[in-house]
Order: sequence, then C-alpha cells, then structure tokens
Amino acid sequence: AFPAPSCAGLGVGRGVGLQGEPSGAGFPIALIPSLGLSKKVTSVVPESCLLILLGLGLGGIVLAITKRAEYQLEPSMFFLFLLPPIVLDSGYFMPSRLFFDNLGAILTYAVIGTLWNSFATGAALWGVKQAGLMDKDVEAGLMDFLLFGSLISAVDPVAVLAVFEEVHINETLFIIVFGESLLNDAVTVVLYKVFNSFVEMGPAHVQATDYLKGVASFFVVSLGGAAVGLLFAFLLALITRFTKRVRIIEPLFVFLLAYMAYLAAEMVSLSSILAVTFCGICCKKYVEANISRKSRTTVKYTMKTLASSSETVIFMFLGISAVDTSKWAWDTALVLGTLLFILLFRAVGVILQTWVLNHFRLTPLDRIDQVVMSYGGLRGAVAFALVILLDGAKVRAKDYFVATTIVVVFFTVLVQGLTIKPLVKWLKVKRSDHHKPTLNEELHEHAFDHILAAVEDVVGHHGYRYWRDKWEQFDKRYLSQLLMRKSAYRLKDEIWDVYCKLNIRDAISFVDQGGHVLSASRLTLPSMPSRSSMSESSVTNLLRESGSGACLDLQVINTVRSRRDKEDAVMHHVLCGSLYKPRRRYKASYSRHFISPSTQERQDKEIFQQNMKRRLETFKSTKHNVCSAKSKARLKKDGRKKVSSPGVVLSHLPYPSSAVLVAVDSDDEESDSSETEKEDDEGIIFIARATDEILQGKKASGRDPLPAVATGLVLQGWHGELVPGSQGARAECHRAAGGVKASGAAAGRCARKAGTVLPQVRSQAVPGASVTAGFVTQNFTGLFFRRHQE
Amino acid sequence: MGSAHSVPEEIQELADKTGFTLEQIEHLHRRFKQISGDQQTIRKESFDRIPDLEFNPIRSKIVHAFFDKRNLRQASDGLAEEINFEDFLTIMSYFRPMEMNMDEEQLDHFRKEKLKFLFHMYDSDNDGKITLQEYRKVVEELLSRNPHLEKESARSIADGAMMEAASICVGQMEPDQVYEGITFEDFLKMWQGIDIDTKMHVRFLNMEPIAHCH
Repeated sequence: AFPAPSCAGLGVGRGVGLQGEPSGAGFPIALIPSLGLSKKVTSVVPESCLLILLGLGLGGIVLAITKRAEYQLEPSMFFLFLLPPIVLDSGYFMPSRLFFDNLGAILTYAVIGTLWNSFATGAALWGVKQAGLMDKDVEAGLMDFLLFGSLISAVDPVAVLAVFEEVHINETLFIIVFGESLLNDAVTVVLYKVFNSFVEMGPAHVQATDYLKGVASFFVVSLGGAAVGLLFAFLLALITRFTKRVRIIEPLFVFLLAYMAYLAAEMVSLSSILAVTFCGICCKKYVEANISRKSRTTVKYTMKTLASSSETVIFMFLGISAVDTSKWAWDTALVLGTLLFILLFRAVGVILQTWVLNHFRLTPLDRIDQVVMSYGGLRGAVAFALVILLDGAKVRAKDYFVATTIVVVFFTVLVQGLTIKPLVKWLKVKRSDHHKPTLNEELHEHAFDHILAAVEDVVGHHGYRYWRDKWEQFDKRYLSQLLMRKSAYRLKDEIWDVYCKLNIRDAISFVDQGGHVLSASRLTLPSMPSRSSMSESSVTNLLRESGSGACLDLQVINTVRSRRDKEDAVMHHVLCGSLYKPRRRYKASYSRHFISPSTQERQDKEIFQQNMKRRLETFKSTKHNVCSAKSKARLKKDGRKKVSSPGVVLSHLPYPSSAVLVAVDSDDEESDSSETEKEDDEGIIFIARATDEILQGKKASGRDPLPAVATGLVLQGWHGELVPGSQGARAECHRAAGGVKASGAAAGRCARKAGTVLPQVRSQAVPGASVTAGFVTQNFTGLFFRRHQE
Repeated sequence: MGSAHSVPEEIQELADKTGFTLEQIEHLHRRFKQISGDQQTIRKESFDRIPDLEFNPIRSKIVHAFFDKRNLRQASDGLAEEINFEDFLTIMSYFRPMEMNMDEEQLDHFRKEKLKFLFHMYDSDNDGKITLQEYRKVVEELLSRNPHLEKESARSIADGAMMEAASICVGQMEPDQVYEGITFEDFLKMWQGIDIDTKMHVRFLNMEPIAHCH
C-alpha cells in the first residue's frame, strides 16, 4: 500500500535515496562494533537508542559540513528493502504455538486497539485545534487529524523488537505486544489509505458509502494479505519438498518466495506485512522439515543478519533524517498534545480491552501486564515513513506532522526504551527463562495437552484445545503428507525431535570437550546437569562401566580393555554363532565388532545354527515348545524387526576408520525366512517367555538345566554390559547356572527374571542404536527407520 | 436459578466441597447424565460414548484416572468400579482454574493437588514412585499415534528422560547407587519450571450438548 502512492514518485525518491546510500552506510556500520564493545553501555541503553543518537550525530556532522541534509529515510527504500527482512525474520521465528494461543488477544489489541487509538487521537487533536491552542498555521481539518492519528497510533514492530529484546519479559506478554505490532499493519494501511483519499477528495465530498467502502476494504486488505501469505507459504513448502537435488539453493527459495509474498501483496495494495508474517509462520514447520540441516543454518543466520542490519540502518536513518529542519515545522501544542494523547489513549485502550479479554482468556492479564503493554506501545520508523509519504499539496500541515512524528518516535524509542527496563524490574514483571526444553518437559507438555483435551471432551467443552487438536489431525493427515518430504514426514514428532536434538547436542559437546573418544574421562554434558547413573537403563550401565556419564553409546568405543572385557569378548565369540539372531539385537550396545559379518563368521554361524537346531530337537518334546507356539509368530515378527535395527548402527570398534559410518545394510537380515533362524529366535526367547507362562499357569516340570544355563550364560555374557541392574537376577543365575539340578523354582525365578530382563536387554540395544544413529548423522535416523519399515 | 432456599442442600454441599459454582455443577450434572445414559453412576464403558476421546493416545490412562481411588480421595487404592456424580465432580475439581483471590498457601496446595493427579496418572502401581517401566509405558502411549516411531524409540526416549530426571533430582550419584524411580518430591522438582496453575485447567461453562451416541 505504501510504495503504491509513492510509486509514481519512486523514480525521484529512489534516485535521491540510493545516491546517498552507499557512502552513507559504510561509516555508521563501522561504528557498530565499537558500540558492541562497551557492554555496560548497552546493558543500560538499548541499541536502538544508541543508533538513533548516533544517527543524529552523523546527520549533524553532515549538516555542518555541507550545509544541507543529504540523507533521508526514503519511504520507498524503507518499505521495499528495509522492512521486509525484519518482518520475515520475526514471522519465521515466531513461536507459533504461543502466537496462536494468544491470537484472540493479539487480534483484539491490533484491530480494536489501533482503531480506538487513531480515532481518539485524531479527534482529540482536532479538539485541541478547535480550542484554539494550536498555531494558526496548522491548517488541518478533522480528516487531516484523523489521518495523522491513524499513522501515529500504530505500534511499530521494529521498535518493539529492538527494545523488548533486551528486556526479556515473559513470552506471553512479549508475544501479545509484538503480535499486535505486526497485525495492526492491516488496520494502519486501511485507515491511512481511506483517510488519505478522503483528504484528497476533500471532506465535503465524502459520502456514507465511502465509509462503508472503508470498512469493507479493511476486511479485504487484512484477509487478503493473510491469504497471500498463506499461498506463498504453501508454495514454498511444496517447492522445498522437491529440492533434494539442489540443496545448495534451498535458502534462496525461502527468501525469494517470502519476498515475493511481500511484493505481491504490495502490488495489489493488500497488507504486505501480514503477508510476510503469515508466510513465515506457516511455512516454517514444513520448510524446516524438508531442507537440509546446512540450509537450515544458512537460512537462520542470513535472516538474522539481514534483519539486524536493516534495523541498524533504519534507526540510523531516523537519526539522520531528523536533522533536516527544512522539512519540518514546529508547533508546541501539537507536539505536546500528541505525546500526551498517545500515551493516555493507549493506556485507556489497554485497560478496557484487557478487562473484556480477561473474561475469555485462560490466563488473565493482570495489572502489571497491562502497564507493560501500554508502556510498550512504541512508535517507530513505520510512522515516520508514512508521514513523509504524505502529499504536501493536499495535506497542508504536513511539515507540522513531520516534526511531531519525529518527536514522538524519538520520545518513544529513547525515553520509553531507556526506561522500560528499570520499569520492568521495578514492577517485578515475570521474566522469561530461556532454557532449552528438556526431554521431560517436552514429554509432560504433550501428556498435558492430551489430558486436557480429553477432559475437555469429557466435559463436552469444545474449547480451544479441541480445535487445535482437530487442526493437528488434519495437518497430520493431509497437509504434512503433501508438503513434507517422505522421509521427514515419517519421523515428525516433537518428542523425538527434542530427543534427537539433545543427543546431538550432547555428542557435539562431548567431542568439543576434548573427548576424543579414546579418553574415558568423566564428562558432564549439557543435557544433564550432573552425572547420573541409573541402573535401570542399560545404556547408563554401559557407560558407567566405561566410566562416564555420557548418554552416548560411543563411549563404548573407548572402554579400556580390561580383563573382564577380554572374557566378555571370548564369551561373545562363543555365543555369537549359537545365539546369532537374538544376539544381533544386542549388538548395538555391546558388540565390539563390525557389523557386516565376514564369510567366515557367516559360516560359523551356520555351523552353530545347525548345532543349536540339533539341541533344540531334544527340547521339542518338552512343554516349552507347546507354550511358545502361540508366541512364535509374534516373536518372530518382533525378532525380525528388531534384528534389523542394530544392523545399521554401530561400530564401536577396534577398527577405527570406516566402521563408524557405514550403515551396514546386511542382507542377512533379509534372509530371515529360514526355518533355522526362526527356531533360533525361539531358542532364546521361548526359554525366557515360556517359562514365564509356565510359571503363571502350568506347573514347571523337569526343568532342564540347560535353559537356565543358557540364560545364565546369556546373562553372564552380557551382564557387565547390559543387565539392568537386577543384581538379584545375576546372583540367582549364577547359582542356577552352576547347579545342574537347579530346582525348578530357582531356575524358574532366574529364567523369569531373565525373561523380564531379556526383553529389556533386547530393547536396550536400540537406545544405543538410536543414540548413535542420532549422533552419527541425522541421515541415519532415516536409514535407521527405513530399516524398521522392512 | 431461583432463590437461594430452593437450591437443594446436596448441591450446596457439593459446591462447598469441590469449589465449583452452582451453575457449573448444574452443567456438569447435565453432562454426567449424558455420559452415564441417565444412570446414577458411570462405568468405564460409558466413556466409550465420547467419540472424540478415541483419538487420544493416552485415553486409557485418562479413563483410569477417573476411577483411580487415590484421585477420588478414598483411603484405599486401586480402581473403583463405578463412580457417582460426586466422584465425578471431585475429579473435575482438579481442573478448576485458579481464582484471583487465592493466597499463597492455597495456591501452593492447589498446585500440589494438580500435580498429584498427574503423578497418579503416571504411577499406575501406586508404589509412590514412577519407575522406568511405567515411564516407558507412558511414552509409548504418547507416541503411539505416530505409526512410524517404533516402541524401541519410545523406550530410548523414556530412558533418556529418566536419566535426565535422575540428574535433576538426585544430582551426583554414586556408581552403585540405584535410582529407583521418580518420587513425588522429585516430580515436584521437575515441574518447578512449568507454570501448571495456569496451564492445567478447563473452562467449565459453555458446554454444548454433544450428540454422541450414534
């Protein structure tokens, strides 16, 4: 909307602006680092203030030297180049859940608040004029004042961001103020255009239909802008789905399409800020899932850089532009009146709206929040650009307006910006705690959502959560499938994401801390405040053995080879063949050997399988088999599935090199269908399980010591590594394994413990697998899960 | 609703006990009737009448929570067979929004009550702590909606979360120390950062009669 009127003047405006641009920008930007050096200063004075002051200084210097103001903040440059990056950055990194949770409040403040502010301010100023307090030269009628009111009352996103960034208030408050500053653009656009056109037509010619048209255009502008944004978000998500082969230009798509959204909305005179905001908010989820990690990083840093430099330039130019006194004219009453009214009406508006909103909100906004909100309504560069854009011929009081706007902007950014931090501290506003979500918190939050949704269902209340739930289902079923890459879609789950992120973070910091996988030093990792060891988790056990509390399986690589390790290695070899199938499951955390079995190994396996088969024949007559018949199918399936997993991962080993990365896709796993292997599965499983069943229902008859021994062996074989701390089981199994005539009870107990242990043990492989998979590369999780699909 | 004296004694009593207003009790009573099919008590099967509940992954846990005697403030533990309206209200009272006029102590008590409710949901065998197995079950259920995440991943997540919990709650541990499970105190510690008073409540008015029996 804004460049549109100035498009005619674009050639002129741009020419002047761009000419001055290159040489002007270099100097101030060079000064920025020096600002950053004095931390003490920046902790008290927000950067935006410093920048404005700096701009003022520079402008003064230039003025003194050349006797005229060279540089100005050109509206076209502002709207076309400086504003979009900031809005995109804020939209993209907007915490969308928080945003939508508070959308009601945000919309209320943005729409109703801004309307109230503009009308009230405009009318009040007109009243002041009527009262004769203003200079005669200020030739403005009601329409002019309303026009002025509309542009001065919009809360500015740039200023809010700049100031609130340093203040760290709690997220709800921040999102409300900030969301309001973004969404009020639609209102501002409409009001500005409407009143502008009224002023141009002349107040006498305004008819009732024009008012209606104005109202209608509000809806068109805002909804249209949002729709444009959504459209481009959709396109962007769709495009990134197919960029697998052109990874290098993925970030380019993000910026291009977002900017296109902005321009498209501008061209059709819709609200461009809304377009970019919604584009950013909506596309993020799908884009982040689709693009590669490097692209993600690139996008993030580029966006931040662009936004930050735009902000710097904006504030600087605000300062520089203020120096050009030829453009403005001072009227005390107008200036003071404006200042007073914007503060007053904002406060009143906030209080009234909050009172109404609190009836509907889950978490009411208390008095302190209201104070912060009204105080945080900063005006900024948008107002300035708009006032410059006014047509001086039609709006004869333009110069006065310009001066007033400059003063207002300076006042809000400088005074309010400076004082908001102490104010927040004094009022003891709840601050935000920026901590990364722990796994527990993520889990609990999810559980929470479900619980509350369920209670809402029970109570029959179709609350907000109900609709959010419904939206998520829709999203999962249709949107995500359409817009996300297949591999990304399958893994999409927030809990899993947090888990992976934590693992990766741990892994990276582990390596950073100089763990060099060969040192078994005790380390603490960011995801755990202190070292912990839990006997119930085998991963921990594993790591405990190796002397570190790291949540990483990689630790296994660096275990010092003790005597026990060697024994275990021997045991491992012995059992490797006979218990091949189930063995593979544990390989993930236990194995010291490379996955892909050499031919020799394979032969050994074959031989052993034969042996095992023979041994099993002798058991066939016992009850064990009968019991396990039912669980065969399930176990087999389970076994098969689980078997495949370790295949991918590990490589803890003596063979340093390629070992780590290769995802051995051993096709042995695919030859699962052989009968022998099936029985092998049961070779172990049914011993554990069947005994369970036996113990439960049937009587345990002549228990053969062999199962107990076998399980004992199994346990012993890995007990250093894997048994989740059931010391009791260990002890009993030793006993059981020792005695040939193990009593049914002991063996049973042992086997039962084994039974409970084994399934655990079986699964423990996988934490290792997934952890290391998580660590090795993200791609592995894809690989890892693909394994599971088969 | 008529003048005060026409309000039955029981309803007033219920209001006092559970903290709901009379209007809310009336709403909830209507809902109770719907769920129970005009009977005096609800059983587990009655929850099947609520179609939306089916999509909830931790549905079974929630339904159990309704019948859990610990939540019903009865002395014993285990699951009740059926609950009447008063029990229904008791469970619902855990989800009341906090009032503006509560003082510190009341707020704290309120918060503890809510957290206890959650704790009971996780701790199914009522031994006072959440063991790894129980935690695993919860995570599995939570992730059950995503068909592509296997049980093992759920388990590994649960393991990781448990370790995290251990490190938060216990800090440094001896090599031989065994971490049994999350006790209620530890649970409280974990939730310290999360603002449960504001998050855990449901608005009890504006209920539409849901057509639910097909």
